[in-house]
Amino acid sequence: MSLAQTKRFLQRFLLRSNPFKLFITFILILFLYYLISGSNSSENNSIIIQNRKKSSYNYKPSLNLDSNDNSNNWKPKNLPADHISHYNLNKLKSTPNALLNNEKVLILSPMANFHQQYWDNLLKLSYPRELIELGFILPRTNDGDIALKLLEIEIKKIQDPKNKNISKFSKITILRQDNESPESQLEKDRHALKTQKERRSQMATARNSLLFSTIGPFTSWILWLDSDIIETPNTLIQDLTAHDKPVIAANCYQRYYDEDEKIEKIRPYDFNNWAESDEGLRLASTMSDDEIIVEGYQEIATYRPLMAHFYDSNGNIFDEMSLDGVGGTCLLVKADVHRDGAMFPNFPFYHLIETEGFAKMCKRLGYEVFGLPNYLVYHYNE
Amino acid sequence: MHPKGTAYKSGFQLKSIIPILITFLTCAYFLYTWAINSQSSNILKSSSNNEDLYRPDFNLFKETDQVSYTDLLLDVPATSNGWENNERVLFLVPLRDASEHLPMFFNHMENMTYPHNLIDLAFLVSDSKDDTMGLLNKLLKKIQNSNDPLMPFGEIEIFEKDFGQAVGQGFSDRHGFQAQGPRRKNMAKARNWLTSVSLKPHHSWVYWRDVDVETIPPTIIEDLMSHNKDIIVPNVWRPLPDWLGGQQPYDLNSWQESDGGIQLAETLNEDSVIVEGYPEYATWRPHLAYLRDPYGNPNTEIQLDGIGGVSILAKASVFRKGAHFPAFSFEKHAETEGLGKMSRRMGLEVVGLPHYVIWHIYEPSDDDLRHMEWMRQEEIRQSKAGEIKEIYDRNIEAGFQLIEYPSNLYGVQHPNEVTLNGFLNYKHEIELKLIEKENLFKQRRRYFEEMLDDEESSIKLKAVTTLASLEKFKHKLEHEENIN
Repeated sequence: MSLAQTKRFLQRFLLRSNPFKLFITFILILFLYYLISGSNSSENNSIIIQNRKKSSYNYKPSLNLDSNDNSNNWKPKNLPADHISHYNLNKLKSTPNALLNNEKVLILSPMANFHQQYWDNLLKLSYPRELIELGFILPRTNDGDIALKLLEIEIKKIQDPKNKNISKFSKITILRQDNESPESQLEKDRHALKTQKERRSQMATARNSLLFSTIGPFTSWILWLDSDIIETPNTLIQDLTAHDKPVIAANCYQRYYDEDEKIEKIRPYDFNNWAESDEGLRLASTMSDDEIIVEGYQEIATYRPLMAHFYDSNGNIFDEMSLDGVGGTCLLVKADVHRDGAMFPNFPFYHLIETEGFAKMCKRLGYEVFGLPNYLVYHYNE
Repeated sequence: MHPKGTAYKSGFQLKSIIPILITFLTCAYFLYTWAINSQSSNILKSSSNNEDLYRPDFNLFKETDQVSYTDLLLDVPATSNGWENNERVLFLVPLRDASEHLPMFFNHMENMTYPHNLIDLAFLVSDSKDDTMGLLNKLLKKIQNSNDPLMPFGEIEIFEKDFGQAVGQGFSDRHGFQAQGPRRKNMAKARNWLTSVSLKPHHSWVYWRDVDVETIPPTIIEDLMSHNKDIIVPNVWRPLPDWLGGQQPYDLNSWQESDGGIQLAETLNEDSVIVEGYPEYATWRPHLAYLRDPYGNPNTEIQLDGIGGVSILAKASVFRKGAHFPAFSFEKHAETEGLGKMSRRMGLEVVGLPHYVIWHIYEPSDDDLRHMEWMRQEEIRQSKAGEIKEIYDRNIEAGFQLIEYPSNLYGVQHPNEVTLNGFLNYKHEIELKLIEKENLFKQRRRYFEEMLDDEESSIKLKAVTTLASLEKFKHKLEHEENIN
């Protein structure tokens, strides 16, 4: 375009266009300028912005954030004005009079299946719900989905804020495992011992994820209660805390119907509660670092005294026995033990894994581990 | 052209295009979905599964947060550019008698470029006798009430917990060989308490940081995060006074396992803890600190087995999997080195950046302190020697005066006679001191020369620098002697 043409165009444009429009354009440009200069002046005051300018990173939040509304949009809420909270952990105690001292109990259940009896039993516990927090972790499987849906329905029944008559659990955290779950447990049952290590390693990871995401500055006790435990005494928490032990396990049995004698009977279920034997130690010393010993397989005969076999129907339910390995079906742990670092090894730790490895780690940290052979809880029967 | 024909033609076009389009689109759609399905079922079996995973709706409890659901895989990812993806970092700081370092630390905090609202701070104040708590509160309040809207941090939690101190906190108390085992076990407990009470389901990353870091880039979190590793540490050095060589590797806890280390571990009993940097435990391990090249690429990574705790960035999933700071001897290691060992055992990536350096403050070691004290004494002695020399000079003048006037010397008792004796005494004294000094030199030199043969390279370095400074000092003294 020649100079003359441009001049003519401009003249025509100015003559034809509405002065009002021009005015608005002018205002808009002014506003834009103000916006840019305004943000500039505040930017110059901020050390953070100045530092960012010197770096090579991009600090604009990525665009797909808004569309993905379920994921990482957590924002701090219910915080004091300056966001600062204080906790004196020196005052945090776990005592034999847990109920009297209003000590908080965290009940943790890895959940592959939801059993109504489990939930009903949980609601029957006489420890005040205001002092109980719940934590669940579910696998990334179809079973996990089904269990989650059932759990959601039950939780909404109990925790609904509109429902003021029922006492509520102080907090419920539900997690979905981040690791791959073994596809089908049935499929692999054929070579169970071989896959036992992998399965229990996954289980250990799930337990740790649940534990370290939920344990808080008020937690005094942690009760590991498997989601297949469908019957316990109502005073379970009071009974177990009363022993005042760092780690204590109940004896896990199962009810069944004896077809021959036509009567209801009980049989031992959890064989992971045991005391170490010389044979077990000897066996361990012959193994390579990556091998594990698991109970309940004929290939590995440890001759360990199993708590499951120490049940005496006439015995005192408060009898204790010292243990070296524990199961996770019903296990009470002082929160300090976990805070000191005791966790469920997902790798062979002294040839032990998961809950049994946990018991060993407690011992390494200087804590004693106990079991209650005559105090029974019952496992679901498929 | 025939009008009828055109009409017919246009009609044909209209009628046929629509079904052709529809068939094409449906075919394309089926092909597309089939392709996607087969692709995902072949390669990403789980990710197609992820899309279908059920999510409960707990909006009912949104206000109170009483019930929450978190998918640990999808909701809290940890990616290499987390600051763009809203990923929350849990920033953990263990504190003990740290008020001296807090102002410097908060200066670094203000400078940090990672979005502050995405950083949750958690402090553990333990066994402190100074006003760590008061000062911490003051500095936090200041930062949270800043005028700059980018300044305030997310959630801030301060925990108090005393673990009872087995040993004092002075440098020599803390770094003496005997004290290391129990001290590190206690420190490990403190760290585990801090992670366990502060880690929440919404955290993607965990960053551990000591307060006594003097120089650190404001982009430290981004720099480490961009490597996208399970656990990553920078190289940690410290500046030194010039007379000790200017700079020195500080953190010897970041290392790669060696055959020597494994052999040593086998000889020790179950509860022993190997601590790096002590001649008692010669492991021959390659230390991250000594691999530094000041001109090397800061992004170079090397795999590590033990790590130091000055500045650790880890994915939160590491701690969720159960990795922690062993407060017992785990494969003959405890605390941060134990975390490295345990994480490796769990199959996690543990990485160090040899050429990316942050600077710890200079804390003089026992030897340094002794050397400094000796240097100070020397200075006093030198100034004293100077004074003596002045008197000596004056006495020489007086002495010559006496010689010039012998009648006075043998006649009456000259007042300067006393001074002459004094002069001889002084001279003798100075000679004695020089001999003493000479001996001291020999002794010290022998001491450091022995250290030269030491396998531990940090000690060697110290010996070399000290010998050099001794030599320099000797020259200076000899020069002075010549003048005298």
